[in-house]
Amino acid sequence: MTPFELAEPKSLKEAVGLLDADDPTIRPIAGGTALMLMMKAGVFRPSKLVSLGGIKELRSIAIANGELKVGATTPLAVLEHSDEVRNHAPVITRTLRTLSNIRVRNVATVGGALAHADPHMDLPPVLIALGARVVVQGKKGERTIPIADLFAGYYETVLAKDELIASLIVPAQNGRRAAYLKCTTRAVHDWPALGVAVSLATEGNGIKDVSIVVSAATETPRRLAGAEKAAQGASDEAGWRRAGEAAAEEAELITDAQGSAAYKKQLVRVHVARALRAALGAE
Amino acid sequence: MRPARGHDGISVMATRTIGSGQVGRSVPRLEGAAKVTGRADYVHNLRLPKMLIGKIFRSTVAHGRIKSIDVSAAKALPGVYRVVTIDDIKAVIPHPFYGPAFHDQPILADGKVHYVGEPVAVVLATDPHIAEEAASLIEADYDELPAVFDEIEAMTSKAVVHDELKPAGTFPDLKHLKGKKDTNIALDFHLRRGDTKKAFAEAEHVFEHTFRSQQVLHVPLEPFVSVAELTETGLTIHTASQSPSFVRIEIARLLGWPENKVRVKVPYLGGGFGAKLYIKLEALVAALALLVQRPVKISLTMEEQFYTLTKHAATFRIKSAVKNGKVTGRDCEVWWNGGAYADIGPRITQKSGFTAPGPYDIENVSIDSYSLYTNLTPAGALRGFGIPQLVWAYESHTDMMARSLKLDPVDFRRNNILRDGRAQATGTAMKDAAIEAVLDRLALRMNMKAPFDRGTGTLKKGRGIAVGFKASISPTTSIAIVNIAADGSVTLYCSTVDMGQGSDTANAQFVAEILNVPAESVKVVHPDTDVTPYDMATLGSRSLYHMGNAVRLAAEDAKAKLAALAREVGVPEGSNVPVAELFQKKYKMQAGNIIGTGSYIPNYVPPDANGLTPDATPFWMVGGTGVEVEVDTETGHVKVTKMINVADVGRPVNPRIVETQLSGAATMQFGFTMQEKIEFDGGQITNASFADYKIPSIVDIPRTMQNEAVESEQGTGPFGAKGVGESGTFGVSPAIANAIEDACGVRLTELPLTAEKIYRALRTAQGKPLED
Ligand SMILES: Cc1cc2nc3c(=O)[nH]c(=O)nc-3n(C[C@H](O)[C@H](O)[C@H](O)COP(=O)(O)OP(=O)(O)OC[C@H]3O[C@@H](n4cnc5c(N)ncnc54)[C@H](O)[C@@H]3O)c2cc1C
Repeated sequence: MTPFELAEPKSLKEAVGLLDADDPTIRPIAGGTALMLMMKAGVFRPSKLVSLGGIKELRSIAIANGELKVGATTPLAVLEHSDEVRNHAPVITRTLRTLSNIRVRNVATVGGALAHADPHMDLPPVLIALGARVVVQGKKGERTIPIADLFAGYYETVLAKDELIASLIVPAQNGRRAAYLKCTTRAVHDWPALGVAVSLATEGNGIKDVSIVVSAATETPRRLAGAEKAAQGASDEAGWRRAGEAAAEEAELITDAQGSAAYKKQLVRVHVARALRAALGAE
Repeated sequence: MRPARGHDGISVMATRTIGSGQVGRSVPRLEGAAKVTGRADYVHNLRLPKMLIGKIFRSTVAHGRIKSIDVSAAKALPGVYRVVTIDDIKAVIPHPFYGPAFHDQPILADGKVHYVGEPVAVVLATDPHIAEEAASLIEADYDELPAVFDEIEAMTSKAVVHDELKPAGTFPDLKHLKGKKDTNIALDFHLRRGDTKKAFAEAEHVFEHTFRSQQVLHVPLEPFVSVAELTETGLTIHTASQSPSFVRIEIARLLGWPENKVRVKVPYLGGGFGAKLYIKLEALVAALALLVQRPVKISLTMEEQFYTLTKHAATFRIKSAVKNGKVTGRDCEVWWNGGAYADIGPRITQKSGFTAPGPYDIENVSIDSYSLYTNLTPAGALRGFGIPQLVWAYESHTDMMARSLKLDPVDFRRNNILRDGRAQATGTAMKDAAIEAVLDRLALRMNMKAPFDRGTGTLKKGRGIAVGFKASISPTTSIAIVNIAADGSVTLYCSTVDMGQGSDTANAQFVAEILNVPAESVKVVHPDTDVTPYDMATLGSRSLYHMGNAVRLAAEDAKAKLAALAREVGVPEGSNVPVAELFQKKYKMQAGNIIGTGSYIPNYVPPDANGLTPDATPFWMVGGTGVEVEVDTETGHVKVTKMINVADVGRPVNPRIVETQLSGAATMQFGFTMQEKIEFDGGQITNASFADYKIPSIVDIPRTMQNEAVESEQGTGPFGAKGVGESGTFGVSPAIANAIEDACGVRLTELPLTAEKIYRALRTAQGKPLED
């Protein structure tokens, strides 16, 4: 690591002002759990880091108009233990318990967990399935981006270099059920080889309106429209399996250290079916 | 939440104290409080005035001639003190090559590089960040040479790793080493006993299988670290080393100095597992300190451990002749992937190699074991010293034969087991090796004869066992000094390194037992070659036996001198006059010492041309593991739900430490079995970080793990004891593979046993193989 400048703004506006759309060596830093590793490995050499830690307005959890609103620098552990979060979308609470470890969750932030854009991360698929969005602050003002549209590629978001995620908004779930299955292949506590998030409404015994998202095995977290269609109305094991089959056909899978694409196809097949079953059994 | 872990403990042993009650008691670790309160000393914390930090620039090619090394940009970086290459090193050490078996390893690359990650240059600076930055500015240009990575290919490869072989001649058991010029063979060991040809010709069944073990890492949580400083009398090296005496002798040899000018000090180690043996960073920091006349420290990162030493990958082809349920002949061929420098690989090849036929009574055996150079990170000792690679093969093979012959796997083993008095492959008669007792206890505790729930639907259950054994290395020497002060307090001086295995505590127990004081009151002085006497090294589970014997002799010597003192001052024999009064009577004040010394080297007969010897080892270690597993047949995921480790450790000196040594060893081997693997791509390691190289955490290991030491006594051991550090590793891998086949009918022959491999094998068995 070589020396760099550290800025500690007190407000969101001030922070945005310190960023530069054309200079990739200036970056915001929140918990630093991802960024510091990149700096230690020498893949990121900053000229300036803009710390978001001192911005009080970004550390918050609130319910407004039936929606859950979380400030970007809220630590994941705070989210994990929040009653508001558990009441609003218990799948987030359950997911956080399997996300890394207590030490990382104590310092890693919601904004970092979204902006880092490593496709193996756990929150993005869950939040996509829940229909969540982020509010983004730029020099010219605010814009809102559905999380489904946030990721541009491997470790890439659609954010400009001088934009910051200000908050996360999870809409009212209105009794929808959700589940997230994290499938690891090298150790129980590992980055997932595959993440599957589903959120659904039911009608009678059957699935009504479902979103199925896969992550980790794909370049970015993706909704699978074909699998969602196949799951429509499904009410039994054969139904979940049909959806799993459709998902396996549809997902574009990557071979990496956690497994071959051919194997991950089987994992998708099995875990989409299991996730649907789990969601139907969930609160 | 998971339920609490099952710890059945070793209640059998807890009551087996003797004499004054110090041996056989679960004395809490003497250093426990210091460690958990952060007061224990580690080299990592050492800072000396004017100390420079070294950062290493490493090779990016697997095999090549160095055309040029451009250090100009590194030198120009403000704050850099000096950049050093091998040419500079030669100014202080003209022949800068070291190693325990061959003097093949240069302090920095000399003309050639032999693996990706080999140290090529060092930057010195007071600020480690500047040193690191400068190291990244160095550029080297290579003429790349053909490289060889696979141990089988290395047997015949045109790519030859070393142009010249340089046997070290240091250790008596490696005196015969020559190496084969223009090949990659550092050592080939051959053993022939009986007539295998005849056995195979007369067999009812012949089985042949090939198994492979992968490269894995030791992962001590304290990476390698060494500091060298010049003193008015010579050189002091502070190092996280398992072999301070070897370091002193080897550094003295490199410098052409007498031993007493080199002082090696070792505080506690944050784990070693065989990695921190012989020379690692010590020669480099010594040369650097001499060169710049300032203290120099090098501490590696976690990532750099991947470029320092690994466990041997190995391929083992095993072939057995069976007649009437008896194994009558066995052919073993083992190829050990030694990496770019021999390190201690040749000893593994021979010493572990001669146990390759397993703990079975087989009349006719042949063993060919090859230590091979390849263009990978050097391989060396790792908890088990080659034995887990062998047991992986022979105990998988045993189950495969039993299954094919429709024989019960326990009965088949018992039918062939090697009993005391019978000759092992080398011809050495077995003694004090409770192999059958380990098998019996394992079978009993695993309830192998009782019916078993095989699971339902896509979740299948199975169980398996495996038993292995190991010979202690020989001949090696340990020396100890026991010092009784005038107030009766006792200090032990020895060079055994406590790296977390509890040797300080056990050695204190021996002294305490003999001198009839509480073990907690004995002070153990840590290795400091100016103060503590010679010890071969802390390795191969040898210390409890060898140092234990030396400590016992030293304490007995002190006790005899104490008795003589009592006689001298007129105290009748058997009286309970306090020790302090004896000193008072003699010196008229609190003054004086009694010094007891002990030296131990066991008998040993080197193998003859056929690899045979009547005295191969001072003692045998025996370990077995049984597991129950659940296999998810839709994904190949395996959960080991129960693990039982049983071992022959002789008489347990400290039952609690025995238990944690067994569970620790088994946990480590569990990681090597299920998940750990160093991945190479053209000689380049692609997962040199703990984000991608996954060691087991508490949620990975079996929920229930029980450990037991069988009733046993090592006749020649101190108070009947023998080593325990590795026995828990032996049976783990094959027991799990055997259980997986029992559960779902597929057999894996390559470690690690990943979910994908199992799923692929299931698909292949269904006639629907998964595409690549
Ligand atoms: C040991 C370990 C294990 C892990 N395991 C898991 C796991 O199992 N599952 C999982 O999902 N994740 C895992 N992670 C990743 C972890 O979730 C991320 O490191 C963390 O969420 C990043 O948050 P941070 O606040 O520390 O971000 P930082 O490291 O501070 O920043 C990360 C990136 O986001 C940018 N950034 C941060 N905040 C903002 C913002 N408000 N607006 C715009 N850009 C921003 C930074 O510039 C940087 O590029 C693991 C991490 C570690 C170290």
